[in-house]
Amino acid sequence: MDFYFGLAQLVGVHTLLGLSAYIVLLTGQVSLAQAGFFAVGAYTAGMLTVLAGWHLVPALGVSALVSAATACAVGFPALRIKGLMLVVATLAFGEGVRLFFFNFDYQIAKGEVKVGPLGGEGFRQIRFFPEHGWSTLEVMLFIWCFVLLVMALLWWIDRSRYGAALRAVGEDELAAQAVGLNLTAIKVSAMTLGGGIAGIGGGLYAHYTTHIEHSSFNILVATFALAYPIVGGLQSVFGTVVAVIFVQAFLIEGLRDLGDWRNLLFGALIVLAMNLRPRGFLDARTLASLKRVFGGGPRA
Amino acid sequence: MLDILQAVSDGVLFGATYALIGIGFTLVFGVMHKLNLSYAAASVGSAYAGLLVLEVMAGAPAWLVFLCAFAAGGALGYAVYLTCFHFIPLRSPLATLMATVGMLLLIDEVIVHATNGMPQAYPAIFDDVMLRAGAFTLRGDLLLVFGVAVLCMIALMVLLYRTRLGLATRAVSQQSVAAQLCGIRVGQVNAMTFVITGLLGGIAGALIGASVGALSPLLTTPLTVKGLIVTVIGGLGSIPGAIVAGLLVGGFENVLQHFRGVTERDLYVMLLLFAFLVFRPDGLFATKGGRD
Amino acid sequence: MKKLALAVALAFAAGGALAQEKTIKIAGFGAKSGVVRSFGVNSEAAMLAAAEVINKQGGVKLADGSKAKIAVEFLDDRCNAEEGISVIRRIAGTDALVAIGPTCSNVAEPLFGILQKKVDNKGDSGLQFPVFTDVAIKVGLAKISEWAFRNVPNEMTMYNSVFYWLHQKYPDLKTVYGGVEEDFAHSRATWHLVMKDRAKASGFAVAGESKWLLADTNFATQVREMKKANADIVAISAHPFTTCGVLKEMQRQGVKPKLLVGLTSSSSLETLQGCAKQAQGMIIPSSFAPVNKEAKFAAEQTAKKKGAADLHSMAAWENMFILKQVMESEKIAGTRASVQADRRKIRDGLAKLNTTQGLLGVSKRDAEGEADKPYLFVQAKGNDWVVLHNPL
Repeated sequence: MDFYFGLAQLVGVHTLLGLSAYIVLLTGQVSLAQAGFFAVGAYTAGMLTVLAGWHLVPALGVSALVSAATACAVGFPALRIKGLMLVVATLAFGEGVRLFFFNFDYQIAKGEVKVGPLGGEGFRQIRFFPEHGWSTLEVMLFIWCFVLLVMALLWWIDRSRYGAALRAVGEDELAAQAVGLNLTAIKVSAMTLGGGIAGIGGGLYAHYTTHIEHSSFNILVATFALAYPIVGGLQSVFGTVVAVIFVQAFLIEGLRDLGDWRNLLFGALIVLAMNLRPRGFLDARTLASLKRVFGGGPRA
Repeated sequence: MLDILQAVSDGVLFGATYALIGIGFTLVFGVMHKLNLSYAAASVGSAYAGLLVLEVMAGAPAWLVFLCAFAAGGALGYAVYLTCFHFIPLRSPLATLMATVGMLLLIDEVIVHATNGMPQAYPAIFDDVMLRAGAFTLRGDLLLVFGVAVLCMIALMVLLYRTRLGLATRAVSQQSVAAQLCGIRVGQVNAMTFVITGLLGGIAGALIGASVGALSPLLTTPLTVKGLIVTVIGGLGSIPGAIVAGLLVGGFENVLQHFRGVTERDLYVMLLLFAFLVFRPDGLFATKGGRD
Repeated sequence: MKKLALAVALAFAAGGALAQEKTIKIAGFGAKSGVVRSFGVNSEAAMLAAAEVINKQGGVKLADGSKAKIAVEFLDDRCNAEEGISVIRRIAGTDALVAIGPTCSNVAEPLFGILQKKVDNKGDSGLQFPVFTDVAIKVGLAKISEWAFRNVPNEMTMYNSVFYWLHQKYPDLKTVYGGVEEDFAHSRATWHLVMKDRAKASGFAVAGESKWLLADTNFATQVREMKKANADIVAISAHPFTTCGVLKEMQRQGVKPKLLVGLTSSSSLETLQGCAKQAQGMIIPSSFAPVNKEAKFAAEQTAKKKGAADLHSMAAWENMFILKQVMESEKIAGTRASVQADRRKIRDGLAKLNTTQGLLGVSKRDAEGEADKPYLFVQAKGNDWVVLHNPL
């Protein structure tokens, strides 16, 4: 059973990563910087619990703030560029963050051993969960509290005026501007919010793996942050969750028994999924029919 | 001083490989306005396919390996078009983007399974040629790579501006609906673009294999990143821009390494790139019109 | 209907027969995808081959005197920390008693982190499952958890011995130049923490160092620095792909050190497949070479399972035999109900070991769970690694 709880923890962490890209994608910005914000969150939370001895909850709060601030700082210059230029600029930023941590040493002595991030050697022994005797079930519930909180927030945003403005900007910037929407505020706030979500996800990730190093935040992670909302569909927050379950629970863990075939199928099935569901698993039509089924019969 | 000069020239020369990969990226982007992230992986994959010649015929000459890589590149290009672009509606650019990511992972994994992930020696050409001027040296094989990149550029320019196919390609890239109304088969033109960039990728992969001396799946991610960087710095869709940008990136990389060491090299490259894109979002040689 | 009944009956009969033959599951895990795939493939082959040999000899003796066969299941972790954690949780969820793996140090480190740090610490909810590592070699990992053990060569001892021997044999060689793949946990630690110190301790002067990254392809600047230093010995702490790249650049620039020393992990077929010509004469300490009857036998059996015998995969082979011995001496029950107790017994048994029998001789084990294995020096000659010197 612990295995499934552990898997659910991983799905939760990746859902946060995916949701951080989801909100940014809504405004039409394709950002490969999410892994960078994720890294900032991971290192911040890890340093606060290990070096400063904080409890994890305030540490996650701070890591969300730090990541959000970083994202906000990226959001302004990123306004100037779009399309492929933005993809590459955010990729450059994300890689820049990773390489910063590759060069980042900050160790203090704790007892006879030194702890803290040590450049390329990584940052080991972030053991808040086991040291406080939390079981895998408890950790899973803890992580999913945050996931559900973030999902509820995004779900609510989707139904608000602000959410409509986000999507309007994503559909057509010019038209959105013409009806009086403030592009700067909308795009930068989406980026900031995404950064904050990635920060929480990163903080949880560091405590999930107990050891982080720069290569845990490479381009592949950034690509997957984007892949989740795209594969899942941008119509609803649930799409991202479905996609994370598809990738982490099905493609990676579910197919494990296939041995060597698993790795080959991984890429092939992503290609297939995009061909069959170019607008994601949960596109508008699927959502509508789901609503009919679960919403108590046709209302319209 | 000589040290710095040497570092610059080493880097610029190695940048020729980036330029070669960048041309393919920029061509697909210029025509379809879409990103093919599997391009570098497909290029490396076709270079591997070239090695099949040595399996069948031990001791085959290097040019045969290159020819096989060239052909495999075209075939792989078409396969990528079919799997990632043909069936996905134009209105879902994100879906094609992810499909090419899936393709990148697939090609990587196929290579790994075929070779157990072990690096494979690649036949070299002009490997032992070193141009010398005192202590100053230039690698012969990289000069060849540079020469090929320039030749490819000329060939592409001729193709684009002197042939009917080129005319059709440019028409599709400017206004695909209008092109369709004029009777151009948009699908076919797009497929041809992929085959041509694939062929180019085959050459690029083989030459990179030859100049590195060995092939490894480790090459795909850095080459993808370099290809993207070169495309945007050169200006979207600009082929000469891609070549200049390739050389520039190679040069900057080596100079920063010379001054700041290898661990900080990429950090500064990335920060410079970010700043460059923010302050000059159209790249060095942007095409007129600035569509996105 | 009759057919169905027959099938059901047959199935029951088969199930019954299986139940009579007890099995003990040992799980293996490591990288079977990505650039390190060959490591996982070789380890799996070695484990399967060793299990077959043990089973042919009757299997493992249990507490009640009966014998059990060993079953091996190998899982792929893609050299990825998250997957490594999922894999070990999955293994712990089955009736496997112990796991052998992983391949990558960057998986081993987080993996050992989720294990319980100190045995019997009730406040520590870390996983209680013994792991006996065969490949991940970065120095000082087993001390992370008391449930983690390793049977990997001790690079500290080996490079100490290499440089000592080189100093004795070639007294006119004075300087060492280092080349290090800076962004990979193992290679980086080996140069900075091991090779550099050991060379100095043996009386060499370190003339400088060049750094590059795992996926680098252009080494012109680094080799130029190397050329300037003009050291007698060049020590390269890098994996085969960049080792080959650097060696080729050295040839291009005409850098000809009197001796080449390489990283333990490079003493595999990979290097020779990538650049046999340039790697000629490279000296690497290794904890395996087919030098005696047992070692040859192990290599042959592994080859039958389509794996290559090298210092990494043969550690997996040794681990299987060590585990068999531990299981017998600790008298595990081997029943479904005793799984957790048996795991604990295996852990305690491994912790108790002071020495183990390996293919090249006796290994010492320390309190941290690390091994000090016998080793010898191999050298690239033609398309093979040949034994250069046996220091023991």
